[in-house]
Amino acid sequence: MNINMSRNTRINVKKSGYLISLAFVAVVLLFAASSGSAQQTTPPAPKPKIKASSIQILMVESNEVKLPLPFQLALYENMIEQVEKTKKFQHVYRDGDHAAADAPDLVVLHSNVYGFKQGSEEKRQVTTVAGATQIKVHCEFYDKSGKSYGDQDVTGNVRFLGGNLRATYDFGKKVAEIVEASFE
Amino acid sequence: MILRRALPVLLAAGAVLIGVGPLALPGFAQDQGTDTVPNTKQVIGLEGIDHNATGTLTIAKGTLEFTKGTKKADVPAASITEVLTGADTQRTIGGTVGTLTMFAPYGSGRFLSLFRTKIDTLSLTYVDGSGGVHGVVFSMPEGSSTAAKVALLAQGAKTSVPIEPGATPPASAPKPQGRKP
Repeated sequence: MNINMSRNTRINVKKSGYLISLAFVAVVLLFAASSGSAQQTTPPAPKPKIKASSIQILMVESNEVKLPLPFQLALYENMIEQVEKTKKFQHVYRDGDHAAADAPDLVVLHSNVYGFKQGSEEKRQVTTVAGATQIKVHCEFYDKSGKSYGDQDVTGNVRFLGGNLRATYDFGKKVAEIVEASFE
Repeated sequence: MILRRALPVLLAAGAVLIGVGPLALPGFAQDQGTDTVPNTKQVIGLEGIDHNATGTLTIAKGTLEFTKGTKKADVPAASITEVLTGADTQRTIGGTVGTLTMFAPYGSGRFLSLFRTKIDTLSLTYVDGSGGVHGVVFSMPEGSSTAAKVALLAQGAKTSVPIEPGATPPASAPKPQGRKP
């Protein structure tokens, strides 16, 4: 009886020792892995945000593709509306606004449509997979002297619900996200 | 006897009513250079008016005016630098109800989506007091946009695509392609 008990105790001690060593190895491996991955995926230094008190949004151009006027106007108006909503700027000037010339640290947003696929609301509703509208726009921010702060391609889509002009709203929202991320 | 006397008066009154009746109907030009278009949807662009608000578009006294209930937006016709018309289609059952029909059983909503009505679009750009460019897009009942454009041009608006006299539809209004912008 005693012999059996002592054997059981010995087995338990052995088991617990084995578990402790296993846990130790696991911790070491985990630490090594985390430090390794930390070295590999060190995030790049965040890009400094641009400081500007006002922005002028120019009329959307479409030099490369033929864009119907309602789309052009809706892109422009949605962009202005969504950028205003970010409240990043004291003034959001429209294209041609004389007051923009006196703004001290003005940023100008120029956009040019380089891709346009007019879908069909009818097709979207009937098939749910076809008829998407897509507008691809190249956007660039620069200062009064013409020095570029950076550029980015933005795509406005409407895939399921809504009329084709909803793609212009989607575009405006995405431009606003860029502004949120890029400006103080 | 009384009837015989009253008959010419009644006939004359009837003739007058038949003559002026259409002029009182909305959508008919009241006189040269003015226009009123009810059931116009302001898709985007007018300040102080919600997107896709349906109201009445009036072009008179050198001004384009859009009224939706108590809300009103004015644009001086002389400040309009471009007016273009277009044609399009929209769902017969629009708005939330139209959207909800999509979820109707057995694909009946998809079937309902096939019912569409033709509409006209009217797009314009104008310049505000400080030189800022604005863009406005309207959609309106089929056949209304040309009259609205004519009225705007008569009131002092400018366009890059003038309306050819007697042209139906105008050069700026391509044939409907059954697509909504």
